[in-house]
Amino acid sequence: MDILFLLIPLSVVLVLIILGGLWWAVYQGQFEDIEQEGSRILDDD
Amino acid sequence: MSDKNMQPTVYNDTVVRQFSIMAVVWGVVGMLVGVIIAAQLIWPELNLGLPWTSYGRLRPLHTNAVIFAFGGCTLFATSYYVVQRTCQVRLFSDKLATFTFWGWQLVILAAAISLPLGYTTAKEYAELEWPIDILIAIVWVSYAIVFFGTIAKRKVKHIYVANWFFASFIIAVAILHIVNSAEVPAGWMKSYSAYAGVQDAMVEWWYGHNAVGFFLTAGFLGIMYYFVPKQAERPVYSYRLSIVHFWALIFTYMWAGPHHLHYTALPDWTQTLGMVFSLILLAPSWGGMINGMMTMSGAWHKLRDDPILRFLIVSLSFYGMSTFEGPMMAIKTVNALSHYTDWTIAHVHSGALGWVGLISMGSLYYMVPRLFGMKQMYSKRAIELHFWMATIGIVLYISSMWIAGVMEGLMWRAINTDGTLTYTFVEVVKATHPFYMVRLLGGVLYLGGMVVMLWNVLKTASSGHPTDAAIPHLVAHA
Amino acid sequence: MQAVLPDSDLFAEPEREVVQWIALDDPQEWEEFSHPHGGSQSNLWESNLVIEGMHCAACSLNVEHALKSVEGVISAEVNASSERARIIWSADSTKPSDWMRAIVRAGYRALPATDTSLFEKRRKEQRLALWRWLVAGFCMLQVMMYTMPAYISGFGDMTPDVRMLLQWAAWILTLPVMIFSCGPFFSNAWRDIKQHMISMDFPVSLGIIITFGVSTAATFQPSGWWGQQTYFDSLTMFVFFLLTGRWLELRLRSRTAGALDDLMRRLPDSVERQNADGSFTRIAVRRLMLGNVVRVLAGESFPADGTIVMGETQVDEALLTGESRPVLRSMGSAVIAGSHNLNSAVLVKVEQLGKSTRYAQIVALMERASVDKPRLALLADRLARPFILLVLLAAAGAAAFWWRNDPGRALMAAVAVLVVTCPCALSLATPAAMLASAGFLARRGVLVRRLQALEAFAGIDTVIFDKTGTLTSDAMHIVSTAVREGVSAERVLQTASAVAQHSMHPVSRALVAASKATMVDTVSDVKEVLGQGLSANSEYGQIRLGSAKFCGLETLPADSVQLYLVDEHGWLASFAIEEDIRPDARNAVCALQEAGIEVQVLSGDRLQAVQRVASQVGISVVSSDCTPQDKLSHLQSLQQQGRHVAMIGDGLNDGPVLASAHVSIAIGKAVPVAQAQSDFVVLSGKLILIPQMLIQARRTMLIVRQNLIWAALYNAVCVPLAVMGWLSAWIAGLGMALSSLIVILNAARLARSVEVI
Repeated sequence: MDILFLLIPLSVVLVLIILGGLWWAVYQGQFEDIEQEGSRILDDD
Repeated sequence: MSDKNMQPTVYNDTVVRQFSIMAVVWGVVGMLVGVIIAAQLIWPELNLGLPWTSYGRLRPLHTNAVIFAFGGCTLFATSYYVVQRTCQVRLFSDKLATFTFWGWQLVILAAAISLPLGYTTAKEYAELEWPIDILIAIVWVSYAIVFFGTIAKRKVKHIYVANWFFASFIIAVAILHIVNSAEVPAGWMKSYSAYAGVQDAMVEWWYGHNAVGFFLTAGFLGIMYYFVPKQAERPVYSYRLSIVHFWALIFTYMWAGPHHLHYTALPDWTQTLGMVFSLILLAPSWGGMINGMMTMSGAWHKLRDDPILRFLIVSLSFYGMSTFEGPMMAIKTVNALSHYTDWTIAHVHSGALGWVGLISMGSLYYMVPRLFGMKQMYSKRAIELHFWMATIGIVLYISSMWIAGVMEGLMWRAINTDGTLTYTFVEVVKATHPFYMVRLLGGVLYLGGMVVMLWNVLKTASSGHPTDAAIPHLVAHA
Repeated sequence: MQAVLPDSDLFAEPEREVVQWIALDDPQEWEEFSHPHGGSQSNLWESNLVIEGMHCAACSLNVEHALKSVEGVISAEVNASSERARIIWSADSTKPSDWMRAIVRAGYRALPATDTSLFEKRRKEQRLALWRWLVAGFCMLQVMMYTMPAYISGFGDMTPDVRMLLQWAAWILTLPVMIFSCGPFFSNAWRDIKQHMISMDFPVSLGIIITFGVSTAATFQPSGWWGQQTYFDSLTMFVFFLLTGRWLELRLRSRTAGALDDLMRRLPDSVERQNADGSFTRIAVRRLMLGNVVRVLAGESFPADGTIVMGETQVDEALLTGESRPVLRSMGSAVIAGSHNLNSAVLVKVEQLGKSTRYAQIVALMERASVDKPRLALLADRLARPFILLVLLAAAGAAAFWWRNDPGRALMAAVAVLVVTCPCALSLATPAAMLASAGFLARRGVLVRRLQALEAFAGIDTVIFDKTGTLTSDAMHIVSTAVREGVSAERVLQTASAVAQHSMHPVSRALVAASKATMVDTVSDVKEVLGQGLSANSEYGQIRLGSAKFCGLETLPADSVQLYLVDEHGWLASFAIEEDIRPDARNAVCALQEAGIEVQVLSGDRLQAVQRVASQVGISVVSSDCTPQDKLSHLQSLQQQGRHVAMIGDGLNDGPVLASAHVSIAIGKAVPVAQAQSDFVVLSGKLILIPQMLIQARRTMLIVRQNLIWAALYNAVCVPLAVMGWLSAWIAGLGMALSSLIVILNAARLARSVEVI
C-alpha cells in the first residue's frame, strides 16, 4: 500500500493547515457572538 | 461603466449571469446525453455503430457534463453571488472572474470534443487528458484567487458559514485534482497515471469520494445555507450547529474513500477503516440536513405556494436519504450485494438528481429573476410543472434502479446446490430490461423538466434586462 | 413653591441629549473608550461601547444598521450576547455625539465601555482556551484515525513500514497538542516545583510526559526495552477531556463575573462643575477631583460619592438596592455615585471618586469573593498534597512491581495510576459548586461576600431579625383617621390626598395611597416645605398639612407618626401613619420556620411596636428595647447553648452583632458596604430571598458532599485497578476526564433554580 506514503503525509499537512486556519479564525473572533449571524444575510439585499 | 477610480457601487453580477445561463444550458445537454446512454442500454442499436456515439465514450461525457458543466457552472454562479453579498463587496477581480468563465467553458468544450473522440485517462470523473487537466488547474487557481480575494476585502467581519463550505470545496478540489491527475504525458492527448495498480485504485477513489464529498456536497451545502434561509425568509435554524456541521463533515469525509473498494485487492484494514468512517459520516450529514429543514419551522405553510422553496426543501430530503443510504451501502456485507449493481446507480442518482439537481434548480430560480431585474420568473406555473416532472422522474429513476440493483445482486450470487451459478450473466441482463425502460422514462421526465426550465429562464432573460445589484452599504453614502 | 435656593439658574434644565454627549466629543475623552485606528495619517478611531436594550440577536443588526448610516462611520460591529459594539469612525467627518444619537434614535442606549481593557483581557483568555481545546480536539480525532488501523488489522495484514508510517503521522499530530494544549498543565506543574507546592497539574503533567516519552521512543526505536506500543490516541484523548473540564469551569467563572459587569456601566459621562467664579462648566467625569462642587441636574446620575451642599431632591438608589423608591436627600445628606437624581438640581461636594465610591467597592467585594477560598477548598488543598504524594508513590510502586517482567507495562501502569486519580473533586468541584451558587444568588440580587458563608448558612438553626429597616420597609400606611366634628372624613381625606399628591415624602404617599379618588381640582396654590409639610388653598380655605410643628399644634406623644391637617379654624384632621412591614416578611418567616429554623426578632424599639410587627409576621420570640450590647449578649448566650445563629440586619448599628453571628446578612438600602462585616448582602431588600438562600446553601452542601463521595469512591476503585495494570492508558484518561466532568456538571446544577417560593 505504497500510496499511503503519499496520502498519509498529505493528510498530516492538511491537518496542520486546518489548524492554522482555525488559529486565524479564533483570533479573528469568527467563533464569537455567532447567534446573530444567521439573520444578517436576510437583510443584505 | 464605472470609472476605475470610483468605488464600485454594484456587484459583479455579469459573471453570475453568464454562469447561471450556461448552467441551465449544460444541464439540458448533460441530461440529454444521459437519456441517450440510458436508451442505448435498452437498444444497443443506438450506438449507431460509430465510435463517437458508443456508450463507452458517451458515458464519461454524461458524467463530466452533469457534474462539471452543470454542477460546476452552478457552483461558480452561486458562489460568486453569495460571496459578494455576504461580504458586501464586489468580486476581487473582474478580469480574473471573467477568465474563469471563459476558461471553464473552454474546458467543457474540450471535454465535449475529446471524450467522444476517445481521448480518456479512464479514471472515473477524471477522464480528461492532461492538457485539459492543466487548463482546469489554471482556471481553478484563478477561481480561488477571486473567491479568497473577495473574502479578504470583505466589509462584514464575520464570514458567513456558506463561505466556509465554498472555501473548503475550492481548496479540496484543487488538492484532489492535482494529486489524482498526476500523470506523465506520452503525446498530446495521451498520458500515463503516476500511480499503478491498487495504488492507483486507492488514489482514484480517494479522489472520487472526495469529489463527491467536496464538489457535490460541501459546495452545494454552501448553496443550501444561503438560499434556503433567503427563500424561506428565516435565519438558519442553529448557526452554531452549522459551524459544527462544517468541521465534522470535512474532517470525516477524507477517510471514507475506501468504501468504493470493498472486497478488492485493497488491504482489509483499509476497507474497514473506510467503512467505519462512512458510518460516522452519517451524523454530520444529517446534522446539516436537520439544520436546513428546521429553518422552515414556522414557515412550512410557504411550501404550499412557493415552488422554489419546494425545490430547496425536497432536495434536502433527498440529501438525507442519500446520506443514509450511502453509509448503509458502505457496510461490507451490504456492499457485497450492491457493488457493481444498479443499486450503486440508484444511489448516485438519488444524490445527483435529488440533492444536487434540485438544489441547483432552486437556487438558479432564485437568482435568475434578480439577475435580470425582474421580481419573479417569467412563469411560476412552469416552475411548478418542472418541480413535478423532476420529482416524479427521480422517483421513477431510483425505484427502478433499486429493484434492478437488488435483483442483479441476488441473481449474480445465486448458487445451485452443486455449487454452480444459477443464472448466466445474460439472463440477469434480460431480467433487468424492463426496469431500464422505467429508468429511461424517469430520465426523460427529468430532462423534460430541465427543458421547461431553460425555456422559463430564456423568457425571463428576454423580458427583463441584465441588472447588477447595488451594494447596500455604499448606496447610503451615494 | 417656596424658594429655598437663591440661584434660580439651578433649575435650568438644558436639553438632555446634547448635555449627555458633549463630553464625548472632547478628543481628550476618547482615550477612555477608544484608541486610534490605522496609521497616523488617517484620523480614524476605534471606539468600544456598551449597548443596552438589545433583547435579541437581531437587535444587534438594527444597531449596526443605524451606526453604518452615519456618515463618517467606517465600520460597526455589534454583538448581542456580549452587548458590545466596536465602531471605527473618522474624526474628520463625524463625532461621537452623532453616532450616539443614531443609536438612541434606533431605540437603544449606549455608554462608553471604559472597562474595555478588562473585557479584552478576559476575551483573550477565552480565545486562548478555545484554541487550545480545538487543537486538542482536532488532533485527537486525526490521531485516532491514524491509530485505528493498528487495532483493526489482523496479524500480518499491515506491513511494518505502513505501521511505522501511521505511528509517525500520529506522533507529528500529537506535537501540537503537547506544545499548545498542554501549556497550562506544564506551566502550573513547573510553578509547583519552583514553589515546592503540589497541585493536581503535577501528576497530570507527569503522566502526559511519560506517555509521550514512551510513545515517542516506541515510534522511533521500537526495539528498545519500552516496547513498540504507542499511546498517542490515549494521550490526545485525555488532554482533550481535561481541557473540556477546564473550559466549562472557566465559563462558569466568567458568567458569575459577568453578573457584576452591569454595575460598572452606570457612570455618566459628564457633569457640570462649579468654577471659582461661581459659573458652571460641563466636564468629563473623569476629570473630577476631590472637593469639587458639581451641579447634578434632574435626570442625571451622581458622578461620585458626596454630600449635598445646596438644594434638596429625591434620588433613586436602585443600583444599590434594586428598588426604585425615591428617597429624600437634602442639604448635608450623602449621595452615592450612580444613583439618579429625580426632581431638582442640587450642588454636591465630591468626597469619593472612582475606586473609592461605594459601588466600586461592591464590585471589588464580589471579585474578592470569587477568588476567596472557602474552608472546604482550603481543606481540600491541604489534603491534596498528601494525596498526590500517595499517588506518586503508588505509581512508583506499580512501576517497580512490573519492571522485572515487562518494563513497557510497568511504565503504562505508572501512567495509568498518575492519570486516573482525580483529586479534582476536592480541589476543583468544591469551588465550582460554591461559585455556581454565588452566581445564582448574584443574579437574584444577593451578594455573597464570603463563599464560606454558604457552608455556614446551610448549618444554621436560628435566625434573628432586626426590626426597623429589616422587617419593615420605607413605605408607610394610614392606620387611623380622626376628623373634626361635623366634617366628612372622606372629603377631608380626599382633600388631604390632593394636597399630598404634590409631595414625594413617604408620609404623603401613604396618604395618597389611602384614598381612592382625589379631588385634585379642589386644591390650588400648593406649596411644599420639604420635610415639614404642605400648604394649599382648598374648599376649607387655606390649609396646612404636615407635622404638628408645621401646623402650629402641640406635639403629643403617640405610638405612631401623626400627620395633621389644619385650616384657618385650627385642627381639621389627624392621620396616624405607621411603617409598612415588608410584604414578603410573613412568607419569609413562615418559610424559614417550615425549614425547621427558629425565628426571633431583636430590636431597640419599644415593646409595643416590636410586638405589633412580630405578631404580624409570625415571630413569637421577641426582644425589645435592646441596646447594641444587649443584642450582642443575647446572641452570645444562644451560641453558648450550641445553636448556630444567622443575624439579619441593615448593617448600620449592628456591626459587632453581625460579626459575631455564625452567618450575617445585611439587608435594605442604607448599607455601608465597605464597612459591612456581613457574609451576604441582599441588595433589593426582598426578605423572601432569605429562605431561598437557605435552600440554595443546603443544596450547595449536598452537591459538595455528593462530589466528595464520588471522588472517594472513584479513586478507591480505580487506583488499585491501575496499579494492577488492568487499566490501559486511554481508559485511565477517559475515566479521569469523565470524573472531572461529572463533578463540574453536578456543580453546575446549582446555577439553575429548582423551586421558587
